Amino acid sequence: MNINTDLKKQNTYDAIVVGSGISGGWAAKELTEKGLRVLMLERGMNIEHVKDYESAMKDPWEFQHAGKLTEEQKATHPVQTRDYPYNEATEKWWVNDIECPYTEDKRFDWYRGFHVGGKSLMWGRQSYRFSDHNFEDNAKDGHGNDWPIRYKDISPWYDYAEKFAGISGQNENWPLLPDGHFLPPMDMNCVEKSVKERIEKHYNKSRIMTIGRTANLTVPHNGRGSCQYRNLCSRGCPFGAYFSTQSATLPAAMATKRLTVRPYSIVNHIIYDKDTKKAKGVMVIDAETNETMEFYAKIVFVNGSTLGSTFILLNSTSDAHPNGMGNASGQLGHNLMDHHFRCGAEGTAEGFEDKYTYGRRANGIYIPRYQNVGNDKRDYLRGFGYQGGASRGLWHKEVAELAFGGDFKDSMSLPADSWSMGLGGFGEMLPYYENKVYIDHNKKDKWGQPVLAIDCEYKENEAKMREDMMNDAAEMLEASGIKNVKTYDNDCYPGMAIHEMGTARMGNDPKNSVLNKWNQMHEVSNVFVTDGSCMPSIACQNPSLTFMALTARACDYAVKELKKGNI
Amino acid sequence: MNRREALKNVAFLMGSAISVTSMGVLFESFTLPEIEKNHVSFSAKDEELLAEFADIIIPTTASSAGAKAAGLGAFIPMMIRDCYPAKMQEIFALGMKDMHAKCLKNFNKDFLSMSIEERQKIMTDLKNETIANDKAPSFFLIARDLTILGYFSSEIGCTQAREYLPVPGRYDGSAEYKPGQKAWATN
Repeated sequence: MNINTDLKKQNTYDAIVVGSGISGGWAAKELTEKGLRVLMLERGMNIEHVKDYESAMKDPWEFQHAGKLTEEQKATHPVQTRDYPYNEATEKWWVNDIECPYTEDKRFDWYRGFHVGGKSLMWGRQSYRFSDHNFEDNAKDGHGNDWPIRYKDISPWYDYAEKFAGISGQNENWPLLPDGHFLPPMDMNCVEKSVKERIEKHYNKSRIMTIGRTANLTVPHNGRGSCQYRNLCSRGCPFGAYFSTQSATLPAAMATKRLTVRPYSIVNHIIYDKDTKKAKGVMVIDAETNETMEFYAKIVFVNGSTLGSTFILLNSTSDAHPNGMGNASGQLGHNLMDHHFRCGAEGTAEGFEDKYTYGRRANGIYIPRYQNVGNDKRDYLRGFGYQGGASRGLWHKEVAELAFGGDFKDSMSLPADSWSMGLGGFGEMLPYYENKVYIDHNKKDKWGQPVLAIDCEYKENEAKMREDMMNDAAEMLEASGIKNVKTYDNDCYPGMAIHEMGTARMGNDPKNSVLNKWNQMHEVSNVFVTDGSCMPSIACQNPSLTFMALTARACDYAVKELKKGNI
Repeated sequence: MNRREALKNVAFLMGSAISVTSMGVLFESFTLPEIEKNHVSFSAKDEELLAEFADIIIPTTASSAGAKAAGLGAFIPMMIRDCYPAKMQEIFALGMKDMHAKCLKNFNKDFLSMSIEERQKIMTDLKNETIANDKAPSFFLIARDLTILGYFSSEIGCTQAREYLPVPGRYDGSAEYKPGQKAWATN
């Protein structure tokens, strides 16, 4: 008896945070700083800041395969190899697809990383606020459910998140892209400056171009070093110069001495207590030993990434929640969204042959959404923004001509003759109920768990928007004096933007949403979900900053409610 | 969309990181499901030949040592065995044999015994054949791609042929470019 009681006591915390990525790290920081003893569970390996970024300081010649993947890697990572992020220098961040399969009713590229820090180590770092246009679009055009919050509810939390994370950028007073608390912006290069000036003049400031707002430090911040302009962020930053769990939230949480991190802990389900009608804790499978164990807490924050969290909730069935925890609305697993991109235009900039770059800026330019506002009307709903940039690359026509010899080598040793400039659209996808995930019990992962099945596709609204994403880009480049402008559409499948969201949406009405305006489950008051799954719509901006703000806000609420005895 | 367009676009999406190989996309899309590593093997003599072949693609010049010195003789076969599916390994190995036969036929000696000019001549023939075949995968194409990839990733390529700056520490997007100034080794 004593042993069991001790074990239960030993495995009991004030709060459990499931996942250690961007939102999980924030939850751990906020909850520990507010005095809670927190257990953070991570399904993958531990990654120690700096020490475990083995490839970060490697020179190009230290990679055996010059960055390329082997046939063996391709065989064990059939999904991760569908796009560029998985390569020789970053291979440790990406999952072995054979160990954790899923079912694709339609093609869905699911990029995953199982390790402490999650995708905070591999993210693109672009950090944009949502505006009231975004929070109101669902209510206005009737797609999806109304957001239960507006900009004024989240604005102070954006301030809070930006001040801690360190976001560099330029305030622009653009209604669709609210300003924030930024570190000094990175510089545009000479071509980008010229394009910016000409676009803004041509469109009379009805379109603007700004430097990307990025979670890379341009000055030292909170004890972290500033960006060294190596453009090797994807390997992990030894200077701590971009926001990650390791560089920012984890040290803050550890400093409280109230955080316990347990790697290799796969949360299989949340344990429901029918008497209290609350979550009692979680059941964990040890990823190394396959041993199962339980942990208990007063509140559970679910931050396992959109589809990871949704799997856990769908798999947390009980008599009271036969279709998954908190799923009386039937919305859990539905309304899956991702940004659509990989189309735009590019061309060459002439007249800058006497200019080059010094340093490698891991950032580009941003043109915030300007469609379907004011007098701008389109034949589709919502809109898109552009990311892009100019560079003087290494391309020489002799490469394609199959040239060889001394002259060829000489030209290959020089930068390209001209600069190129491109704009790639990032478009909003509407929430569609029928775009969904569910549990497929016919397949098992390495640990004997059933897998997720994904049934998701872009539809007509997205297809129409892509036309404009190409044509507007070409038009703006041409108006900027860019030559040889060509449009492209490289095809896009959901998942590719790695911005999957929406499968446990927030809303005021428990009948059509899973979470309330505090990211708290309508039906199970001590469960909070603050990763991308909570999003009723996805706007066209990169979402991680919004996850940070929502998480901090939800933690503040949860602790207050806990102290009041309401949870 | 044809592959070259796809490549160009993919390269663009990745910022300025344009792949120097004309086949980056091609060989990644040829992946077969089963593990087919080490389908073909290469002898020490093969490595010697590939080193000489690569040195015609990227020879030693006033600025820097060439592909042979950069270790391409070992790099190319290692890459073929590790990173290419069996089908491509075979195309490469057969093409290599084919070149050997052509050398004997046209010059009555093997590649290693030929002069630089003779090597250039046979390689120009191979190049023209590859172009005539719309750049379908061939020994010449793969070996040349790997030479460019390997050389400009090597220490010699990065630090002698180009300029390597591991920790710039700052960014200047309108730096002066002096005629003849070498390209940065990394993007």
